[in-house]
Amino acid sequence: MSVQARLIDLAVKFGFLLLMAGMLVFFSVAAPGFLSPHSAVFVFQSVAITGILALGVTATLVVGGFDLSIGAVATSALMLSAYVMVVWELSAGVAIALCLLMGAFVGLVNGLLIVKGRVPDLLATLGMMFLLIGLQRIPTQGRSISSGMTLPDGTVARGTFSEFFLMLGRHRIDFFIERLIPLSVIFLLIVAVLVWVFLEFPRHGRLMYAIGSNAQAAELAGVKVERYKIAAYMISGTLASFGGVLLAARLGRGDVASGTNLLLDGVAAALIGFAVLGAGKPNAFGTAIGALFVGVLLQGMTMMNAPYYTQDFIKGAVLVVALVFTFAFTARGSRRA
Amino acid sequence: MPNALEIRAMNKAFASNRVLRGIDMDLPAGAITVLMGANGAGKSTLVKIMCGVQPADGGTMQLAGRPYAPETPRAALEAGVVTVHQSINDGVVVDLDVASNLMLDRISTGGQLFLRRRKLHAQAREIAKAVGLVVPMGLPVAQLSLADRQLVAIARALSHNPKVLILDEPTSSLSDAEARRLFALIEKLKAQGVAILYISHRMSDIRRLADRILCMRDGVISGQFEEQPLDYAGAVRAMLGHEMTDVDITLATPGAPVFEASGLKLRATTKPFDMMLRANEVVVVVGLVGSGKAQLASALFGVAPPVAGEMRLDGRAYAPRNPAQAIAQGVFMAARDRRSNAVVPDFDIRRNFTLPFARRHSKAAHMISRRSEMHTARRMIDEMGVKCQSPGDPILSLSGGNQQKVMVGRWMAEEARLLILDEPFQGVDIQARRDIGTRIRAQAEGRATLVLVTELDEALEVADRIVVICEGTLVSDRPNRDIDVAAIMAEVADTPAQPEGQVA
Amino acid sequence: MISRRKLMMTASAVALAPTLALAQDAPAPFDTPGDVTIALVRYLSTGDFFQSYLAGVEAQAAALGVNLRVFDSRQDAALQADMVDQAIALGVDGIIIQHGLTESMQEAAQRAVDAGIRVVAFDVNVENEAVPQIEQSDRDLARLALEQAIADNGESFVAGYVYVPGIAPLDRRDETWTEFKARYEGIEEVAQFGTLDNPIANSVANQARAVFSANPNIEVVFAPYNEFARGVMIAAQEAGVAENINIYSADISTADISAMREPGSPWAATAATNPAVVGEVSVRALALLLAGEDPGAQVIVPPTLITRDMLNEGEITNMEELGENIPAFLHADVALADWMALPPR
Repeated sequence: MSVQARLIDLAVKFGFLLLMAGMLVFFSVAAPGFLSPHSAVFVFQSVAITGILALGVTATLVVGGFDLSIGAVATSALMLSAYVMVVWELSAGVAIALCLLMGAFVGLVNGLLIVKGRVPDLLATLGMMFLLIGLQRIPTQGRSISSGMTLPDGTVARGTFSEFFLMLGRHRIDFFIERLIPLSVIFLLIVAVLVWVFLEFPRHGRLMYAIGSNAQAAELAGVKVERYKIAAYMISGTLASFGGVLLAARLGRGDVASGTNLLLDGVAAALIGFAVLGAGKPNAFGTAIGALFVGVLLQGMTMMNAPYYTQDFIKGAVLVVALVFTFAFTARGSRRA
Repeated sequence: MPNALEIRAMNKAFASNRVLRGIDMDLPAGAITVLMGANGAGKSTLVKIMCGVQPADGGTMQLAGRPYAPETPRAALEAGVVTVHQSINDGVVVDLDVASNLMLDRISTGGQLFLRRRKLHAQAREIAKAVGLVVPMGLPVAQLSLADRQLVAIARALSHNPKVLILDEPTSSLSDAEARRLFALIEKLKAQGVAILYISHRMSDIRRLADRILCMRDGVISGQFEEQPLDYAGAVRAMLGHEMTDVDITLATPGAPVFEASGLKLRATTKPFDMMLRANEVVVVVGLVGSGKAQLASALFGVAPPVAGEMRLDGRAYAPRNPAQAIAQGVFMAARDRRSNAVVPDFDIRRNFTLPFARRHSKAAHMISRRSEMHTARRMIDEMGVKCQSPGDPILSLSGGNQQKVMVGRWMAEEARLLILDEPFQGVDIQARRDIGTRIRAQAEGRATLVLVTELDEALEVADRIVVICEGTLVSDRPNRDIDVAAIMAEVADTPAQPEGQVA
Repeated sequence: MISRRKLMMTASAVALAPTLALAQDAPAPFDTPGDVTIALVRYLSTGDFFQSYLAGVEAQAAALGVNLRVFDSRQDAALQADMVDQAIALGVDGIIIQHGLTESMQEAAQRAVDAGIRVVAFDVNVENEAVPQIEQSDRDLARLALEQAIADNGESFVAGYVYVPGIAPLDRRDETWTEFKARYEGIEEVAQFGTLDNPIANSVANQARAVFSANPNIEVVFAPYNEFARGVMIAAQEAGVAENINIYSADISTADISAMREPGSPWAATAATNPAVVGEVSVRALALLLAGEDPGAQVIVPPTLITRDMLNEGEITNMEELGENIPAFLHADVALADWMALPPR
């Protein structure tokens, strides 16, 4: 291997981690207060929800699919959990269970549309996205849900977000420093480890990667391609709805929102993840790093008073660089060339 | 007849793969030359060079006595070499109307900025008349039948007053009546003195049209037939090739029946047949592209059920609805065309080996045991003779032959009741072919083995029994001993146009 | 069941009686209000504010007894202009244009005026003298909130400011903020941030937390939009600085009321106009025009200041109770006439 080839190889493998390290050093110097345990936890918390969504979409990317409905699933879960607790006055447990079921069901429908209905994945999940954005507004005629709101029929909703539910988004655990780590960060770490283990070690993850790489070959090797694809969309839907539950717990009310930004940030994290360690393919570890990368960037830039549009610009630039790393320099790219 | 086109000593290589190795070819004016060749013989490369898509590495071409070396398809067209491609929609713009398609070359060469519709239609109608195409000039090509679209493509080609017309499998999507109309047109052009190169597998077409036949094989012209009557069986033999190989086959003792099929019908229109595969035996089914080999493999592996018929495996009813069910019952298949049907490009050698049997390498909680996988991968690399650095190499870093060894070895890693190998020697060099063939025979004991190939000498290298398939049905079955190559060739080349058993 | 239904019919007849009595004295065309049709052509419609606005329009139209048609272009500027033309074609008597872009609505409004239709515009400048502007005064909103901030925190404090340029109401509120900073030199703005990525509160919370860790000395945050304030409040609580910070904002909703009343809430005050009242005023201004009276070129709906203390003292939990406790919030004395019936309270 020539020196140049070796350098490119190193750049592909560690380039992104180096970039992140460089960024951390830069912000530590440029933004006072950036380098503190609290600040680090904030970064984690700001990416907890998009990170969980990104891990879900990673599952669909692994089988060669795509899920555009995750943002809408998350905001639907946000509205649903609020509706269950505030309007129906049911418990937090019921609200969470219903949200996760809703997410799994949406994933199932997505999967069936794609596998049985032969609808291309982008179109099926795009349709689902619009459907959910509309559906979540129907019960309240487009109003946000909060305790004490007046319902369309004139009655006043008296239910409240239970303490337990709000804790999911707000409670913080002592870790060396009192009340340091929010629960949502713990959830992110657990979900990341679970998805990572699921994709890397058991048979199922292996076969899902095989489907994403060559579905025809996987089918002829006896892999139940359709089932795994549906399962991937159900994972995506369930994780997205879990993200929505955490969002509801943080906001403390059911906010009407399309979730487009959640979708875009989640997808960006998953795609940036392709470039981490030169994986060149969707992977849970990369997705988690990708989400952190975006989080660090936004935290640092906000601390330096950069306006929101420059943040979008930088986010886009990072994504483009990551995609170049993935497709121009790795095996995945050279194969297609 | 003078030669319209002469090709001398033409060479072309892609990396180390020599696709054309010194081709000499004449195309006489006013005659139909049929070019036959199996997949990978180099036909399409030759055509691409003739019509300016690719340059040759060496050799010369003379068109009507003058040097000819087209740099672009347009240059070829303007010099008078016209090609009608196999896929019809490549030759037309489906969204434009007939007139625009016919006049496309003139429109795109510029000149007037605005097109006068009436004049355009009048000129287009003239061109259409020459090929007997009677459709409204304003009709979008998308609304035409495939045959009419092809006529549009040909008519458009003819508007250049061609000296040489190349037709690449032109009848592959036409009905009989449409094909007859095309043949009449070809005969007419022949009478006008055009040199025609007709590429086809269809024996009925070839019998109908050929004035002379050229056969290509492994990048050389392997046969040339000009004396009437033409020796069609000889042409097939030259195309498929048969070098007496030095592989020595000791016929296995057939064991108990493993797989039986009765009344198996592969397509709605083909004749049903019976089939029996015994343990220890390697049965090779030989047939041309389109003979029904693919459907046979699909039916046995559960990819697509047969139209009719019963199958039994070890005496029990066997009707797999998908490959997973086939595999569960011990029927494995290494599919043809490894690139699209077998290779998982993102996986390394180890993961490619263990793909079908990941379950057997997984332990508690479905966790895959890396150690068990490595063990299998190392064993199979060794058995199949895969040349690689380690089981962790990316599959795409291997040569085609070694990739194919992995794809075949994948199915030999576990015990099969019936192992199906569909074109296992496709796109591999002679050494890899021998290696794979040896492994197939070495492990055949205890299971039934079914190999499907196009080329007879591949069959001779591995078979205990050779079965010929033609038009979706099995036509002969003989042990691989003192084989009458000519007889098999005749059976392989037979077509429904010919009465049973008659060989020209 | 039957008796109950009868009862309800009787009740509504009683409720309608004063309206009918008044209508007899009303000027044309309100002497026969059933023949009057007005159209509401909307640019923005999703969200609590717009729902509430619509409710106000519907209530006032019902009180007047006129027919109402609602056209909703869902942020499609071209469609909104087409909808004005549709309304013209339907032969409505009056049109309320609710939000939109000057560029697309100016000509559409002119076409309606040319067709003899009375037009009023809410929160969009159609640059037409014949079209009165209904406005909630964004400058007044900002002024009320900032005056409260000065009253609570003195004339010098360290401030954070949430702002996204290019949004008309926010731009107008920004003018007032700029004036205040010039007037009180003690106000030190150390951070400006803001985003409209939705859910807005969540995105703003992420930003605000970064701001709080960069600037732990912030005392006052001016967040002149309730979604902004909500995000800042979440961040302040998460960063554990809620006790040191006061948030001043504009607009209000039921959810905001409970947020402001949370124990230890940093959300000190907000200035708001009741969107339902703005809706009612829009209809009344149009009614004045139709009756041949002059509502004036600008009809400004005055805002109300709502502080944390007011909410706690009145034990107010939702918008209805807010209206009952703070009458100024429930009704605006603008665009009124003796003959006009008001929506029942």
